[in-house]
Amino acid sequence: MTDSIFSRYGGFAAISRIVSDFYDRVLDSDQLAPYFAHTDMATQIDHQTKFFASMMGGPASYSDEHLESVHARLHITDDAFGELTLILQETLEDHEFDDTDVGTVVGEVTRRKRVIVEH
Amino acid sequence: MNDTHRQVLQGLDSAVALVGAEDWSVLFENAKFFRWFPGTGGDDELLTTRMPDFRAERAQSRLEAGRPFKFELKVTVEGREDHLRVTLEKFDGASEPAYLLQATSIRKEMETQYMLDSYSKMAEKNARELEREKDRVERLLLNIMPRAVFEEMREFGTATPQRFDSTSILMLDFVGFTDMAIAADPSAIIAELNDIFSSFDRITEMFDCERVRTIGDAYMAVSGLLDESPDHAANIARLALRFRRYLERRNQAHPQQWTARIGFNTGSVIGSLVGVQKYVYDLFGPGVNLAARMESMSEPMKITVNEETYQLLKNEFVFTERGPHEIKGFGTQNLYFLEGELARR
Repeated sequence: MTDSIFSRYGGFAAISRIVSDFYDRVLDSDQLAPYFAHTDMATQIDHQTKFFASMMGGPASYSDEHLESVHARLHITDDAFGELTLILQETLEDHEFDDTDVGTVVGEVTRRKRVIVEH
Repeated sequence: MNDTHRQVLQGLDSAVALVGAEDWSVLFENAKFFRWFPGTGGDDELLTTRMPDFRAERAQSRLEAGRPFKFELKVTVEGREDHLRVTLEKFDGASEPAYLLQATSIRKEMETQYMLDSYSKMAEKNARELEREKDRVERLLLNIMPRAVFEEMREFGTATPQRFDSTSILMLDFVGFTDMAIAADPSAIIAELNDIFSSFDRITEMFDCERVRTIGDAYMAVSGLLDESPDHAANIARLALRFRRYLERRNQAHPQQWTARIGFNTGSVIGSLVGVQKYVYDLFGPGVNLAARMESMSEPMKITVNEETYQLLKNEFVFTERGPHEIKGFGTQNLYFLEGELARR
């Protein structure tokens, strides 16, 4: 078996820095920032690091039900979801993820669109 | 820009530069930018020269789409390495199309990351060791009790005695073991016994039976304890035959001869953990006692069963009748020697 994306890009600490950078960009986005107006970013980044770790084949796992319940009250639109995946793609590219791995991670997020976006 | 503004920019701890969008020419830079990206000191050096790792193509496509471009890189100033995060974005305040470049040191972040890394590696290592230790303890405990009992004990801290109605119990004992141990080299004899019992353990597993325990030179196995298999009597009969055959073949190849008496019996037993600190899993009840009697009334390299067990197995196995015998605590019963198994259709 080949190593997971998680371990190839440096494990927990490295992923947490990428996630942190990702959220810097998200908060810079006029479209996305309002969603996080009352969010404690330290907790958010901690959660997201675990979430991204799980999508990259690292430890921790999140069920779709869990994702759905935490996103339900946020009323996330299609456009906002699109902007977020674009920022994610750019962040991963800027951290020198190769194209296949960027595709894998963005694909993992897109696959969960149904439980994240309001419908 | 007035002088105050310029002084503020020059004094910043971050690098700031204005870059021409057409050709990456550096239109303005502050002191920190020069310190981190001095280039070769020539006039009019482009950003792509000053920052050799800069990925101009990717930056251009990103910036032209109106999106910021960020990346990290390392610089070495006066022999000290520093990690930087660089951001480029469109800047509208200049007289020509330009990008604003900012760079800040993330050395502290990298230090924290390193610490986090080494800490999580340590935690993972400890977790792995703990897991290994847990496995080892589990394996040890599974040697002395059935898995179901082990799981009950792990869950509740204790295991209640349980009655098993359909089981078969086998007892095996070596003839003249005490004399053997004294006559020959005792440690060599024990080593051989250990070797034989280890083989018995493997055979027991092969026939879906379980070793209950060994007492000195006696070996006790049971079938039907884990799964209520209707074949428990046949399984234990095959086990007995295989034990005997193993010993016969071993005796042909070794100077030291091992002769065993074997008996088995079908009936109900009570299984329970005994003891608090030093516990063993043991079986109790008349079914066990009768199995012990069958063994003691058996003969060297023979397998003895009573009438009831014979009736269960007579269609699948070959027996010879031994006639009625007085069995202490069980009255008079017809006994049989198990000789072999009928060919299975």
